Amino acid sequence: MKILVGIKRVVDFNVRVRVKPDGSGVDTDGAKMSINPFDEIALEEALRLREAGIASEVIVISIGDSSCQQQLRTGLAMGADRAIQVDTDIHLQPLAAARTMLAVIETEQPGLVILGKQAIDDDNNQTGQMLAALWNRPQATFASKVVVAGDTATVTREVDAGLETIEVDLPAVITTDLRLNTPRFVKLPDIMKAKRKPLEVIAFTELAVSNDNNIQIDHYAPPAVREKGIMVDSAAALVTELKSRGLL
Amino acid sequence: MERINKIQILQKELPDLELLADSRSLQIYGQDWTRFRQPDPLAVVFPRSVDQVQALVKFARLEKLALVPSGGRTGLSGGAVAASCELVVSFEKMRKISEFNPLEASLKVEAGVVTQALQAYAAEQGLFYPISFAAEGSAQIGGNIATNAGGIRVLRYGLTRDWVEGLTVVTGAGEVLELNRGLIKNASGYDLRHLFIGSEGTLGFIVAATIRLAQPPPPQTVMLLALESMPAVMSLFHSAKVYLKLSAFEFFSEQALNYVCQHRQLPQPLENPAPFYVLCEFDSDEEAALAVFEQGFADGNLLDGVISQSSAQAEELWQYREGISESITQFTPYKNDLSVRVSKVPEFMQELDQLVAESYPDFEVIWFGHIGDGNLHMNVLKPETMEVGEFERSCLLVNHAVYQLVEKYAGSVSAEHGIGLLKRNALRFCRSQAEINILRQVKRVFDPDNIMNPGKLLNDE
Ligand SMILES: Cc1cc2nc3c(=O)[nH]c(=O)nc-3n(C[C@H](O)[C@H](O)[C@H](O)COP(=O)(O)OP(=O)(O)OC[C@H]3O[C@@H](n4cnc5c(N)ncnc54)[C@H](O)[C@@H]3O)c2cc1C
Repeated sequence: MKILVGIKRVVDFNVRVRVKPDGSGVDTDGAKMSINPFDEIALEEALRLREAGIASEVIVISIGDSSCQQQLRTGLAMGADRAIQVDTDIHLQPLAAARTMLAVIETEQPGLVILGKQAIDDDNNQTGQMLAALWNRPQATFASKVVVAGDTATVTREVDAGLETIEVDLPAVITTDLRLNTPRFVKLPDIMKAKRKPLEVIAFTELAVSNDNNIQIDHYAPPAVREKGIMVDSAAALVTELKSRGLL
Repeated sequence: MERINKIQILQKELPDLELLADSRSLQIYGQDWTRFRQPDPLAVVFPRSVDQVQALVKFARLEKLALVPSGGRTGLSGGAVAASCELVVSFEKMRKISEFNPLEASLKVEAGVVTQALQAYAAEQGLFYPISFAAEGSAQIGGNIATNAGGIRVLRYGLTRDWVEGLTVVTGAGEVLELNRGLIKNASGYDLRHLFIGSEGTLGFIVAATIRLAQPPPPQTVMLLALESMPAVMSLFHSAKVYLKLSAFEFFSEQALNYVCQHRQLPQPLENPAPFYVLCEFDSDEEAALAVFEQGFADGNLLDGVISQSSAQAEELWQYREGISESITQFTPYKNDLSVRVSKVPEFMQELDQLVAESYPDFEVIWFGHIGDGNLHMNVLKPETMEVGEFERSCLLVNHAVYQLVEKYAGSVSAEHGIGLLKRNALRFCRSQAEINILRQVKRVFDPDNIMNPGKLLNDE
């Protein structure tokens, strides 16, 4: 079985992003870029399935300009067998990303697709679900445990009420939650080996996927600064204060 | 009775000064991170202003009351220990950060500001306070200045000393001094600020400081590497310095790694164990990192290694180094914090290793340190069944030979932890008698009645 894993290049989760002064976007110049943490978990899970003899090949895919090859190389160094870059300068929204993946799925015919539940740059949490619908295959989102046996995957999901365990027929789309696993460190000798692994570049235009962005962004603004709190001496003072603000 | 009397007089003379004297507080505030002395302070007080500190010192002079300045109590040399009925003066209530000046990239901190809070404040301004070490969540800037704290980025950014541009101190004589007043350039004679930095509370109280901040470094990458031997560590250091813009270069032994993994329940970072490990941090540059690795691999120095791909992974890797001290605390380690010139490290280590193997056959010795600065932490673990006093005596016996070796290599018996109470008899191995005589005279100038942290740094004559 082949596993396809989506990898997105995002601003590192520890970087404090700043909105550009003109509100046209977020300033990422010179910022540290990493694999979206949920995608790293997705790849780790795929590698473990391969190491357990359940999968035979792990393919990482990223949609973006040539800079995302860096993250694909990291994926290869972690242990993926080969990589695909769908080359485009356009920042795709979830629906277009799902369509793009579907186009690749049609050629690759994977038995399982693992994606992160969301990317930490725009926090959409949509691509996996949309892909499953377009592909007309089952989905198991927010996975914290995955067991594959034969043609089914038993997936424990993190839902609002706690944990839910479901069974899905393969092929299917699984999206990962944080607790699924801890990704491995990249070994230096493996970075050198990764340079010799295949990385295929497909032009986005070649896939004939429509990119009708359905959301238009007109401007970006930083979150409002939280006002400094005040300390009150007693419960009575608190009540007075709340009343004076019309909150009580 | 006498104690209660003293406390009553103190409270009567300084009624606004917050004071605690319950047995639990005395136990907590009477000791630092070390566990070799039974805490026994008179009481602990919490001043809130320069004026209160000054009034306290004047009172203490009259009453001949010994004072122990106390910060985050993470010290590793017993500097903040009060075991002889001293009054502990805690800076916990003096935590203001003010006067941030973007043009100068400077700010003012009260002594009790926690190191991590200063780092966070700097980050909020888009700047960087580079002094960093495992105890930064508790240690205070006053304590850092009093010990001239170093830590993991000395290699690139220097010591606490290099970031202090002004100090407000109250001397043991009760005078308030504004030292260097935030100036960058000031060629007007003796710089008393630098006497207070590293003075371990023996000259007076550090009440506030003007601190300079740095520009944040570019994105950083961390590598954890496995090595065969100590000479291999040093030759790796050489090539890492050539290829990389290093921020940190730390080493630790296999045993140290095992203790961290147990204590923090971390997986082994590499497949196979190795005698030594290096953790280095540098401006992200994967090509250069690979070059260092390939060369080390070809030379047979390097066995294996991993490299961080995100800042989260960089933090994970740091845990293997930062967790060491805490992971061995349960064994009441006897800590040696030695330094020699960087070029002398391999030779020194070799002799030291031999010495230790011969003299401590029954004790477990854990090595780690800021090897890029020539700083070696040698920790002897107490066997569970041995009583603390007996353990300290055996360590002191062996240490004599260790210190002689330090003397032979013209090194220091305390690289960054301070002399405090535990290393005061070792001072003579790295300072000449003439120098020690001058230190004593300096102390007398600032602290004529010997009320400031008496018995620390300099032993009683
Ligand atoms: C896990 C761990 C890791 C550590 N790693 C490092 C490291 O890498 N590098 C390093 O340098 N140190 C290290 N240390 C040692 C320690 O954290 C530093 O020495 C630190 O600077 C002490 O600060 P503190 O506020 O805890 O001081 P304390 O322990 O409270 O006091 C230290 C000394 O300073 C004096 N003092 C405190 N406040 C004042 C003041 N306001 N005015 C005058 N004197 C004062 C005390 O009297 C005492 O002599 C480590 C400690 C631990 C526990």
